[in-house]
Order: sequence, then structure tokens, then C-alpha cells
Amino acid sequence: MAIDQIHDLQQVYRKLLHSMSRPGTISSIEQETKQVDINFGCADSFILSAMVLLDAEVTFHVLSKDRQNLIEKISNYTSARFASVKEADFILVLQEDEESDVLEAMAQCKIGNLIDPQQSATWIIESAVLSNEDALVLTGPGIETAAHLSTGQSFRFWQARDSRIKEYPMGIDMIFADSSSQIACLPRTVSAIPMEVK
Amino acid sequence: MRTNTHFAFFDEGSKKEIRRATLKAVAIPGYQVPFASREMPIARGWGTGGLQLTLSLIGKTDVLKVIDQGADESVNAVSIKKLVQETTGVQVTDQTEEADLIQSRHRIPEIPLTKDQILVLQVPMPEPLRPVEAREYATKRMHSEDDYSGAWLMLFEQIVKYGKTATAADHPVYVNGRYVMAPSPIPRFDNPKMHQSEALILLGAGREKKIYAVPPYTAVESLAFEDYPFAVESFEGQECRLCGSAHVFLDELIDQKTGETVYQCNDTSYCMEQLNSTEKAEVESSYA
Ligand SMILES: [Zn+2]
Repeated sequence: MAIDQIHDLQQVYRKLLHSMSRPGTISSIEQETKQVDINFGCADSFILSAMVLLDAEVTFHVLSKDRQNLIEKISNYTSARFASVKEADFILVLQEDEESDVLEAMAQCKIGNLIDPQQSATWIIESAVLSNEDALVLTGPGIETAAHLSTGQSFRFWQARDSRIKEYPMGIDMIFADSSSQIACLPRTVSAIPMEVK
Repeated sequence: MRTNTHFAFFDEGSKKEIRRATLKAVAIPGYQVPFASREMPIARGWGTGGLQLTLSLIGKTDVLKVIDQGADESVNAVSIKKLVQETTGVQVTDQTEEADLIQSRHRIPEIPLTKDQILVLQVPMPEPLRPVEAREYATKRMHSEDDYSGAWLMLFEQIVKYGKTATAADHPVYVNGRYVMAPSPIPRFDNPKMHQSEALILLGAGREKKIYAVPPYTAVESLAFEDYPFAVESFEGQECRLCGSAHVFLDELIDQKTGETVYQCNDTSYCMEQLNSTEKAEVESSYA
């Protein structure tokens, strides 16, 4: 069975919204990933997150240089246009991507401006299996006291993110999607402190 | 004749645009995110912003409650429910606890909302600085510079004039210590319910084309001066003439026969529930 563009994507959106409103909260979209019958060569939850948000009105960037195939598939399915890392509304990061490329993109992507802070890039990141182990300590709006999240990203990744959110309200928002049909989000408002050095 | 056959009225492109704006609104609490507000088959000013949010959110299994100034049965609430139901087939309810989506105009329900609920508030005027500055680019600049002297001046002038802040409804709030936000024309009584709320609160202004949000567990402070602290409407010594509730927002009515002032819950479904539970308790105790 194929993905239902209306009802399945509505369900994924609600999970995204739930997790974006409650940073660190991991949502399962297993019911919806079951319906994905095309092999994009990446996690189904990652592709579904992109499908929920991408259309002809927005642009995306894929970091990996040898994924022309993925770029074409995403364009075909969503009608979104590929753009440079500096212009893209969505930055799509795969687990296989080199850390140096990720850090460079983080430094270059758009973070909005003080008048229009919403004109910023949203990152959709294919992550290691998400868990609420205390790799990261999260605090900020949406979190009652503190939350814990493990995404598999390095210390340098969090440092780089930190440098792009320190001029709040400018910043970047992140969606993590794993191979176990789980998603979690980190809006720019949330401080993420790594508890171990990798 | 309704020729629109889309689920939840909108085509998927319209929903996506609202959804993207909503996620940005959650990520920047209290900031008004522009969106391409659509024409709706209800009159503008009757909650098209809230309705567009609801339609972008709703799925087949949701249970919807719509209230207008505390009442589930008002013409406006009924016509919104009708449109949503006709295009989605979802279940509607009057019971606050049963709903997972609650669209409201001018009130936040008396029953505390939970993490499994989303409150959508209809907003006629999203810009708290509009009374002091008519130009949109100028108010956007003020927000960007965290310059809220205009909002403070407004409150100061009220105090000079009336000896207190005289905002009847829509008293401005500071969200997450950064943006001053119009909470929509809820009474001051409801402002504290936004502070560290368990439920996500989304606000939509159709005519002004803005979406903004208060995520759960977010600081929401009503603007006030140290020597003139913020105060909610007081109904001290009063209670609902029907259910006997105190500590809720009461409507002041004049009894037609006696000419006396009487009070009644503004949140009608809350009042009904109190009545039902008292009756039940009475029945149960009479059998005991
Ligand atoms: Zn009552």
C-alpha cells in the first residue's frame, strides 16, 4: 500500500508538532512508515518528515554529493526545488554524511533575521536510534524541568548548533528521524548540553 | 451547494503552508509568523484564522470542541463545527475533557487542559502594538528590537486615567521573556492559564494573516508595573446562580423579574457538568 498523502501525512504532522512543542519527546510514526513502498535509500521516517513539509513553495538541500538520485526522487514526489545550502528552506542530512560537511552547512545555512526570524532553515536529520538516555540535557520552552535525548550527534555538532542559535530569535530548528520510525525535534529556543564527549 | 471535496476543506498545499508556519510559530514563542490566509466560507472576523489552524491540524480520529465566548451552542461555534464536520466527518463534543482539539473565541475553558489537547484561539487583532503604531513595518521593527515602550506607555496611560490597568480583555503578555503578544480577547481571568500550560496553544488571525503560538511549559507574564500589579477580574463573594461555582469567570446578568444583579458561569459546558455532577451526588446520597 502506498502512503496516503492526506491522512498519513496529517498524522505525521501532528507527531511533528507534538515533538516540536515538547522538545525531547520522541514520537512514533510506525503506522505511517509501514505504508512507504518506495525505497529512497534512507529512513522512512526521514522521508515522511520531508514529505509533510516540502512542496513547490519551498527549497531543500541535500548535503551528500553522490545522492543525485535522492534529490530527483524528492523533487518528483514533493515538487520542492533543490537549492544551495545558503538558500535552502530545508537542509536534509543523512547518517552517512561527513561531519565536516554537516558543520560547514551549519555555518552557512540561513537563520532568518531579526525582522523575519522565521526565514530560517529547518534541518531534517537522519539520526541514530533516538532514545531518552541522557546524552543531551535539554531545557527551554516546552520542557517542564529538563529532558534528555540521545541522537548520536557529536559534541562538535552541538557546539555548531549552539553558535547558530545564540542570536535568538534568529536560529535553526531541527527534526531528527531514525530507522525505528521515531522522530524528535529541537526548536531554536532549546538549550542542548552534551553530557559526554565523543 | 458545496463543491469542495477536499478532506478538511483545504487542498494539501494550503495545509502544508499553514503547517510550516505553525511549526515556526512553536519554535519562536509569541512571534507572529505571516502566512497566506485563505478565503473561507464564513465571514471574516468570525474566526477564519482559528478555523484555518483547525483544518490544518484535524484528522479522522480527532474529537473537536468549538466554543464562542464560553458557549458551545452559539451561532458562530455551530457554523464552524458544521463546516469542519461536513468536510471531515469527525466527532464533535461539548465536553472539554473529551476533545483533543478545542477551537475557542474569547475564552480558555475552566477545566485545565492536558498535554493531549491543542487549544486554538481565534484572533481578530494579533498585533499588541497596533494601538500605538499603525504601520506594520514599524511594529515588526519594534518586536525585532525588543522595544515595547509603546505597550508600557499604553498601560501607564490607563493607570494615570483610571488608577489601574483598564484592559478588559486581550491584556498583553510577555512570552518566554522575549515577545509581547496579544493573547486574543480573553478576559484577564484567563491570562494566567497560558503560563506553563500543559496544552499547546495556537493562535490564528485570518484577516491579519498571522499565526503564533505558546508552547506548553512556557513563561507567559501579563504586563504590569511593580506598584500596579496585574489583577484578574474579581468575583469575590459571588457564585454561579445555577451550579454554585465560585473561582470561575462569571457573567453578570440582570434578573428580568427582580431587577437584581445575578451571576452565572460564562463557560456553559463547565456549568452543565457541575450541575450534572451535583445532581448525581444528590441522587446518590438520597439512595445511600
Ligand atoms: Zn455555573
